[in-house]
Amino acid sequence: MSETVAIRVESLSKTFGRRKKRRVEAVKRITLEVHTGQVYGFLGPNGAGKTTTIRMLLNLIHPTEGCAYIYGQNVQRNHSVLRRVGAIVEGAAFYNFLSGRRNLEVLARTANNYDPKRITALLEQVGLAGRAEHRVKGYSTGMKQRLGLAAALLSSPDLLILDEPTNGLDPSGMHEIRQFIRELADEHGKTVFLSSHLLSEVEQVCDRVAIINLGEIVREGAVTDLLEGKTQLRVEVSPADKAAQVLQEHWSLSTTMTLPAIPSPPIPSPTTAAVKQPGNSNARWLTVNASHDDAPHIVRHLVNHDIDVFQITSQRQSLEEYFLSVVREETERAAG
Amino acid sequence: MGSFGNLFRAEWLKIAGNRWVAGCLKWVFPILIFGFILLMAVILALSGAARESFQEGAAEEPYLWTEYALSTWNLPNNPIGRLVLLGFTAVVFAGEYQWKTWKNTVPRRHRVSLILIKFLALGVFVVVAFVSMSIIFAAGWGVLTEIAGVPYGPALSGDVLTDFAEDYLLQASQAFTSTIIAAGYAALAGMLTRSILGGVLVGVGITFLENLLILILALIGWFLGFYKIVHLYRLTPGYNLLNVNMWVTENHAQRVTMFEDSRHLIVMSDTLAFSLVVLAAWIVGLITLTVVLFQRQDITS
Repeated sequence: MSETVAIRVESLSKTFGRRKKRRVEAVKRITLEVHTGQVYGFLGPNGAGKTTTIRMLLNLIHPTEGCAYIYGQNVQRNHSVLRRVGAIVEGAAFYNFLSGRRNLEVLARTANNYDPKRITALLEQVGLAGRAEHRVKGYSTGMKQRLGLAAALLSSPDLLILDEPTNGLDPSGMHEIRQFIRELADEHGKTVFLSSHLLSEVEQVCDRVAIINLGEIVREGAVTDLLEGKTQLRVEVSPADKAAQVLQEHWSLSTTMTLPAIPSPPIPSPTTAAVKQPGNSNARWLTVNASHDDAPHIVRHLVNHDIDVFQITSQRQSLEEYFLSVVREETERAAG
Repeated sequence: MGSFGNLFRAEWLKIAGNRWVAGCLKWVFPILIFGFILLMAVILALSGAARESFQEGAAEEPYLWTEYALSTWNLPNNPIGRLVLLGFTAVVFAGEYQWKTWKNTVPRRHRVSLILIKFLALGVFVVVAFVSMSIIFAAGWGVLTEIAGVPYGPALSGDVLTDFAEDYLLQASQAFTSTIIAAGYAALAGMLTRSILGGVLVGVGITFLENLLILILALIGWFLGFYKIVHLYRLTPGYNLLNVNMWVTENHAQRVTMFEDSRHLIVMSDTLAFSLVVLAAWIVGLITLTVVLFQRQDITS
C-alpha cells in the first residue's frame, strides 16, 4: 500500500459484551480510506460508533473483526506506526495534579521524543504559555482541549486524529482551531481525521466526509459531491399541517418550524409584511427537498389543494440538513 | 537519556507529581520517623526523667545503629504498612483508568513497556523511601544517644560494614520480595476492577485470604478426607517468605506441621532453593498476568 493512503479501514467491527443479551454491535464491518493531505470528517449521532472506530485506529480497542491500517501498517501488529499519529480522543484528559508543561513532558518522554523547546513552542502556539506552570486541575475545558491539541502535535505527526477538538472552546477559539486544522493540511501536508458534532465546522474544514449511523457507514464522499444538487425550497404556507400532508405525496420534507422562529427572508417584501398579520398565525415554513425547477409545481400543487402560499425561496442544503436527512432515512430503514 | 530512561522518568514524574498520594502513601514513613525522632529529641532535651529512662534502656540492651537501620524493613510486612503499600500500588496502576490517561500513553508506547515500567518505578520508589527511612532512623537515634549521653555502637570498621551490608541486603530483599508480591496482587486487582478502591480492597482481600489459606486448606482436607491438599500451602508466598527468613536467620527450614494428633500428620519443611524458586515464580507470574491482562484489555475510558 502506498503512502498516499493515511488510513485504511477494512471490514472493521467491534462487538461489546459476551452474553447475548448484553451484546452491542458498536461498529459493523466499516470500510473507508483517507488519503494523505486530506481533512476527513467523520460524522454521526451520539452512539453511532465514531469514538469506538477512533479507539480501534489507535489500538486502544481491539476489533472483533477486520483491520485498521495506518500508512499501510496494521496498527495491531505494528504499534510503532502510531508514532506518526497525534490524537485527541473523547475530550482531552490529563494528570490533574501536574502542570500543563509537566503533562506534555510526561507524554513526550513516554514517546521518547522529549524536547523542552518544542513543548514551549507548542504551549505558545495553543495560547497556554501563561498558564503552562499551573496545575491542569485549574484549567477550563477549553484550556484542556488546547493542551490536548498541543499533546497531539508533540511528535510532529503526519496524521492527526481529532475527536471533537473544539469541544469547550469559545467561538473565537473554535475559529482558530478550524483555521489551524486547514493550515495543517494545506501548508504542512498533514492528514486530519476529524470527528465532530458541529456540522458547520466540518462543512467549512473537511474535504471529504463519512457519515456513520448505528455502527455503519451510510454515506461517504467529497463534501461538494454529497451536497451537489441538494437544493431545498422553503415555503411559507397555511395551513401548514395540510400542506405538509399534501407535499409529502411527491416530495420529502426536511424540517418544519413555526413562524416566529424563522429568520426574516433575505429580501423584505409586501408578502413578508402580510405574513406577520395576526390573521396568518397558522402560517409556517416548510423545507422541501426539491430543486429550484420544482418551485412552480409545488406552488400549483398547494394552491390546487386550497393552501395559501405566502412565499417560496430556494437554498442549497447544508451539510447539517443533509446529515439529518441521511440519519433519519437510515434509522427509519434500519427500524424496518 | 535513552528510550527506557525517558519512560522511567515519565513514570517517576507521575508518581512524584501526585504529591498527596506520594506524601501520604510513601513519604509518610520517613516523615513519621523523622517526626518521632524530633519529638524524642525534644523530650530528652527537656526532661531528666526521660533521659534516665533512655539510659536505662541502653544499659539493658545497647543501642546499635545496625539494628535501627535494619528494623525499618520490617514495616512492609506489618499489616498497616502492607495496606499503605497496596493503596500506593493501586493508585499507580488503577489511577490511569480513573484519570482516563491510558488513551494518551497507550498509542505512544507498547503496553508491555507501560506496565513493566510501573513495576520498576514502584520498586525503586519503595527502595528509596525505605532506605531513606533507615538512614533517618539510624542517624536520628544517634542524635538521641548524644543528647542522653549513652554509647551508640558498633564502631565503624571494615568488618562491621561488610556484615551490615550483607544483613541489610538480605533484610531488604525479603521485604522487597514481599512488597512486590503484594504490589502484584494490587496491580492485578486494580487493572481488573479499573478502580483504585477496587485495587486496594481486592488486594487486601487476597492478602487476607493468603494468610487464612492454611486453615481453609485444612478444613477442606478434613471435610473431603483428602489431607494432602494442605501441601498446596507450600506454594504460597507467605510460607516461602517465612521459610527464606528462617534459612537466612537460623540456617534451617521453617517447619509447619498439620494434623499433628492424627495419623495424617503433614510436615512441611523445604529447602531455601525451593522457596526462592516459588517466590520468583510468583513475582514473574503476577507481573506476566498483569501484562497479559492489559494487552487484551479494551481502553474504553
